[in-house]
Amino acid sequence: MDAKPSSDDRAPLIVIQHVSRRYVRGVDDIHALEKVSLSIPTGHFVAFMGPSGSGKSTLLNLVSGIDRPDEGDVFVVGQRLNDLSEDELAQWRARHVGLIFQFFNLIPVLSARDNVALPLLLTHLDKAERRRRAETALRIVGLEERFDHYPRTLSGGEQQRVAIARAIVTDPDLIVADEPTGDLDARNAEAILALLRQLKHDFGKTVVMVTHDPRALRFVDDAYHLDKGILLEGEEAERAAEAIRMAAGTHAAGAHVAS
Amino acid sequence: MKYAGLILANLRRNKLRSTLTGGAIMLAVVLVCLLLTMPAGLDALLNTIASNTRISVHNKAGIVYAMPYAFTRKVRQVDGVAAAVAMTWFGGAYEEAGRVTFPNFAVEVEHVGAVYPDYNIAPEQLADFQRYRDGAIVGRQTMKKYGWKIGDRVTLRSTVWPVKLDFRVVGEIPNERAPHFWMNREYLDEALKAQGRPGLGIAGIIWVRASDPEKVNAIMRTIDDMSRNSEAETACETEKSFFSNFFGSLKGFVTIVLIVTGLVALCIVFIAANTASMGVRERGPELAVLKAIGFGRRVIFSTLLAEAMILSSLAGLTGVFVAIGCTRALHTFSGWNPSLGPLGSFIVTAPVIVQGVFLSLFVGMLSGVVPSFGAARKPVVQTLHEVF
Repeated sequence: MDAKPSSDDRAPLIVIQHVSRRYVRGVDDIHALEKVSLSIPTGHFVAFMGPSGSGKSTLLNLVSGIDRPDEGDVFVVGQRLNDLSEDELAQWRARHVGLIFQFFNLIPVLSARDNVALPLLLTHLDKAERRRRAETALRIVGLEERFDHYPRTLSGGEQQRVAIARAIVTDPDLIVADEPTGDLDARNAEAILALLRQLKHDFGKTVVMVTHDPRALRFVDDAYHLDKGILLEGEEAERAAEAIRMAAGTHAAGAHVAS
Repeated sequence: MKYAGLILANLRRNKLRSTLTGGAIMLAVVLVCLLLTMPAGLDALLNTIASNTRISVHNKAGIVYAMPYAFTRKVRQVDGVAAAVAMTWFGGAYEEAGRVTFPNFAVEVEHVGAVYPDYNIAPEQLADFQRYRDGAIVGRQTMKKYGWKIGDRVTLRSTVWPVKLDFRVVGEIPNERAPHFWMNREYLDEALKAQGRPGLGIAGIIWVRASDPEKVNAIMRTIDDMSRNSEAETACETEKSFFSNFFGSLKGFVTIVLIVTGLVALCIVFIAANTASMGVRERGPELAVLKAIGFGRRVIFSTLLAEAMILSSLAGLTGVFVAIGCTRALHTFSGWNPSLGPLGSFIVTAPVIVQGVFLSLFVGMLSGVVPSFGAARKPVVQTLHEVF
C-alpha cells in the first residue's frame, strides 16, 4: 500500500446530492433517507452518527456502492454510482472500496492470511503476490504473528484487525466501516478507531464509518448526524454532537471509575 | 483455479456432512453401476454359452411339444449342416435331491460331440460315451455340486418317463458353469420298450451346428420350410436367441430395477440439494460479505456450484471404483463358488463407468444449481439486510 499525504483541500472523494431512499417493508413505506446532500474530501475520516433507524447505514450503503438511491446522485471516486448495474457495482466495489463490518464475518475455514487475500482473488495477481500483499496488510494492522491463525483462535479485536487488513489489502480509495467497534470491548474499540485513523494519516485513506460509539468523535475529522433520514445541520447538528460528547464524557468517567 | 482453495476449504467446513452426502451419492452410483452391468452381463453370459453357428430346432408350438425323431435325419441332410443331435428332456431327479436339480437330456451319443466341439470334451470320454450304453457325460458344475467323479454310478428317476435308470459317469464337460447331464438316447429307448411301450420316437429339440456362420439363416429357413404343413411345424432360432428367450423375463425385471434405481438416484438428488441448501443458508453472512467486497453473482454461483459438483464427482468416482471392485470380487468368487455362476459375467464396462460418472455430475449439477442460483441472484443489499 502506498503512503500518501493527507490533505483537506483536495477534491471531494464523495459527493451526495439530494439523495432519497425508500423501502417498502410489509405495508409500510419507509423513508430511510430524505434529500440528503453532503461531500467528503479525499483523505478525511468521517463518521455517520445517529439513533437506530436514522438512515446512517442506508447512507453508508449508498456511499459504498452496495445500494442505489431512488432519487438524487451519488458520486464516489468520480463515478456516478446510480448508473451502474449490480455486477458493475460489484466490480467497482472490488476496485475502490474496502469494507469492514461489525461482526468481522471472516471465513472460519480460512487462515487470517487467506481471509485477507480473498478480495485479491478478484484481481489478476498471482498466488505469491496475493500472499505477499495479504501479509503486508496483516503487518500494517499489527498481526504479523498471526498469519496462519484461523478466526476461532483469534480474539474479537484481532478478528476485526484481520477484517481491516482485508479491507485495505486492495489499496482502495475508500474504506467503509459499519459499526466497527460495535462488538468490541472499550480497549479494543479504541485500538480499532486508532488504527482507522492511522490508515487515514499514514496512507491518506478516506474512511467513512457508521457508529454509535461516542468515543469515535475523538478520532474523526467530521461527524455527520442523521435523524429519521434527514441530515442534521446547523444548531440541530450541534445539539446532537453535544449530546454525544456528553455521553462520551459520562462513558469516559465511568470507564475511569471502573479502572 | 484461483478459487480452488476457497472451494476446497468450504468442502472441509463440515466434514461429517460432506462425508454423509458424498456417501449417499457414492452408494447411488454403486447401485446404478451394478444394475447397469446387468443387461451387458446377460449379453456377455449369452455370448459365453451360445455359439454363433448353433441352431435350435423345436416345435413351433413351444419347446414342451416334441417333433418326430425321424425329422433329425432330414435335418442332417440340409445343405450347410455340419452336425445335428436330437435331445429329449429326461427330467431326472437325483435320488439324494429328490427333485430335478440339473438339466438332463437323452442325446444321440454318436452326434453330440460334433455339435458341441466348443465344449472340449475329451475324445476318449466321448468314445466311452458311445461304448457304454449306460454312460453319462456331466457338466463340471453338477459334478462338483454332488462330488461325483468319472466312474461313479448315479441313479436318476425320471419325472417325465416311467423309468428309473442307473448311469455310469464316463465323461465331464470341462466348464465350471456347465450343469448338463447327457445320457444315451438308446438306453432310454430300450428301457421304455422293456416296459412294453413304443420307445422313444420323439425329439424335444434338435441342435444343429452349421458349417459356416454365413449359412445359419439359410439353414433355418430350409428346415422351417421342410416342416411346413406337417403335424410338427418347426421354429428355428440361433442358440443365442434361444437362450435369450429364457432371459427375456429377467430383462423385464432388469428394466423395473433400472426404473427403481432412477428413482433412488432422484431421491439422492433431493437429499444432496437439501444439504447444499443448508450449507448455503448457514453461510449467509459470509456470502453477504463476499458479495459486499466485490464478488460478483457469477463468481458466487460458480464457486457454490463447483463445491457441489466436486463433492458429487469425487463420490461418483469412488462409487465407480467400488462397483468395479464388487464385480471383480464376484468374478473371482464365482470361480470358487459355482452357485454364483452368472454373476461372474457382470463387469463394469467403460460405458457403465462413463454413465456412473455422468450420473454423479448430474446429481452435483442438479443439487447445486438451485441453492447456488438462489444465493447468487439476490442483490447484495438484500442479502446484507437478511443476515445483519
